[in-house]
Amino acid sequence: MTRYLIVLALLLCLGSLHSPARGASATPHPSAPGPKDKCPVCGMFVKKYPSWVATVAFKDGSHAWFDGAKDLFTYLGTPQRYTPGRTAAMVDRLWVKDYYSLQPIDAKTAYYVIGSKVYGPMGHELIPFKRLDDAREFMLDHQGTQIIRYGDVTPTLLKTLE
Amino acid sequence: MSRVLNRHRAILDFALSSLLRRKTKNLALFAVYTLLIAVIASLIFFVQALKREAALVLSEAPDMVVQRMVAGRHDLIPTGYGDIISTIRGVSSVTPRLWGYYYDPVFKANYTLLVRDTEPLQPGSIIIGSGVARNQRITAGDLLNFRSYHGLPLLLTVTEILPHASELVAADLVLMARQDFQAMFSLPAGVATDLAVTVANPRELITVANKVAAKFPDTRPILKSELLRTYDSLFDWRGGMIVVMLGVAVLAFVIFAWDKATGLSAEERREIGILKSIGWETTDVLLLKFWEGTTVSLSAFMAGVLLAYLHVFFGSAALFSHALKGWAVLYPQFRLVPVIDGYQLAVLFTLTVLPYTAATIIPAWLAATIAPDAAMRS
Repeated sequence: MTRYLIVLALLLCLGSLHSPARGASATPHPSAPGPKDKCPVCGMFVKKYPSWVATVAFKDGSHAWFDGAKDLFTYLGTPQRYTPGRTAAMVDRLWVKDYYSLQPIDAKTAYYVIGSKVYGPMGHELIPFKRLDDAREFMLDHQGTQIIRYGDVTPTLLKTLE
Repeated sequence: MSRVLNRHRAILDFALSSLLRRKTKNLALFAVYTLLIAVIASLIFFVQALKREAALVLSEAPDMVVQRMVAGRHDLIPTGYGDIISTIRGVSSVTPRLWGYYYDPVFKANYTLLVRDTEPLQPGSIIIGSGVARNQRITAGDLLNFRSYHGLPLLLTVTEILPHASELVAADLVLMARQDFQAMFSLPAGVATDLAVTVANPRELITVANKVAAKFPDTRPILKSELLRTYDSLFDWRGGMIVVMLGVAVLAFVIFAWDKATGLSAEERREIGILKSIGWETTDVLLLKFWEGTTVSLSAFMAGVLLAYLHVFFGSAALFSHALKGWAVLYPQFRLVPVIDGYQLAVLFTLTVLPYTAATIIPAWLAATIAPDAAMRS
C-alpha cells in the first residue's frame, strides 16, 4: 500500500512540475473553434469564417474566438462588458490570422492594414500581417490607407471602422 | 371528421373500381405516363450524378492553373516562371505539371499521360488505369510498348493498375516518371505543361491571377471557380444539351396529358349524367374525377421515378450514355453514385402530377354542370 502511495506522490510531483512548464509564453494555439462557438462581441458563429478567426487564450486555459481582429480589439477594451467575470488581466495570449498564409500569428507583433477594400464578416477590418513587407504590398493592392501596430489601436480608431 | 374521411374513402373506392372497369385504356395511360416520367427523371438523375462526379474531380483541382500561350494556343511553360510566381505574396506553392496525350495506333486508343510528382515513379515503370489494362489485356508486371517522338520504341513495365473506383477519371490514365515522359516527347528539361498554383487565402486568388498576368503577359491563369462554372453551365438544366432534351420530354408530356385527359368519352359523359341523376352533387363528381386523376398520375410518377433510379444508378444510364459519354475508345465502366435532388423532383412533380390532375377535372366539371338528362342523351 505504501508503495502505491509513494508512486502516487511521485506522479503528483511530476504533474506539478509539468504544468508550470507550459507557462504563459508557451501556450499553444488552440485548435479551430467548434460549430457552437460564437464571437462574444457580435454573437456570430466563428467557424463559418475560418480565414478571419482571432483568438484570446485566458490564463485559466479557456479561450474566446472572434470573427476578425476588429472584434478582438473591441473585446480587449472592455472584456467584462462582453463576458462578465473576465478582466483584461486574465488574458494570456492573443492570436490573429495572417492574411496571406492564414496561419495564426501573435496579435501583439502583427502589422495591421486599415481602410482597405477587403471586408471581413463584420465589414471594415484590421487586416493582420506577420511581416511589414506583406502589409505594404497588401496596402498597394487593396487601397489600404495606413499600417498600424497593436499599441496604436484605440477605441476612437475602432469607431472609425464601424 | 370521420364523416368527411368516410366520404373520401367511399369516393376513392368508387374511383378505383371505375378505373378498373376501363382497364385497357387506363393501363395504356399509366404505361405511357410512367415511361415519360421515367425519361425525364432519368435525365434529372443522370445530370445530377454527373455534376456530382465533376465536382468531386474538381475538388482536387489546384486553385489556379497557369498556362503559357503562343499564338493563342497552349504551349510549354518554362519552370523558371514558377519560381517567380512562387514569390508573389499569397502563393503557398507552385507545382510544374507534365501531362499530355498519346495515341496508340495498334489499339486505336487515346491515353492520358501524367507525371506523378507526389511519389515519383522509378524511370522505366508505369502505373496504368483499368481501362488501359482492359484494352490491352495486360496486368501488373507486363511490358507496355510506346513509340517515342523519334520513332524509337519505349518499353515500360507496368508496376500497378489503378483501382476500379477511380475509373471515371483514370480509365485512360498512364502515370510515368519525368525522365520517361521527357524521352517520349523529346522535351527539353526545364519546361512543364502547366503550373499548378495554390493560394492559401481564396480571397487573394483574383489579385494573384492579375499579378501573374501582369508579370507574364504570355500566360493565361485559369481559376478553379472558372472551371466549376464551365462544368456547371454544361450540365446545368438551364443551359446546354440537357435543357433541349428536357424541353422535348416535357412538351411530349404536355401533349399526352392534354390529349388523354381533356377529351371525355361519350361513355364517361353518360356515367356522369347517371351519377348526377341518382343524386350525386357536382362536387362529388369532381372529387371522383380528382381521385381518378390523382391515382393514375401519382402511381405513374412513383413508378417512373423508380424506373429512372434503376436505369441510371443500376443500369449506368444505358439509354443516354452512348450519346453523352464522349468519343474515346476507352470508355470508363463506372457506376454512378446515387444522388437525389429533392428540389428537382419537386419541380418534376409540380410540372406533371398537378397539371394532369387539373386536366382531368376541368372537362369533368364542364360535363357535370349540364343537366343529367342532356348528358345521358348526348
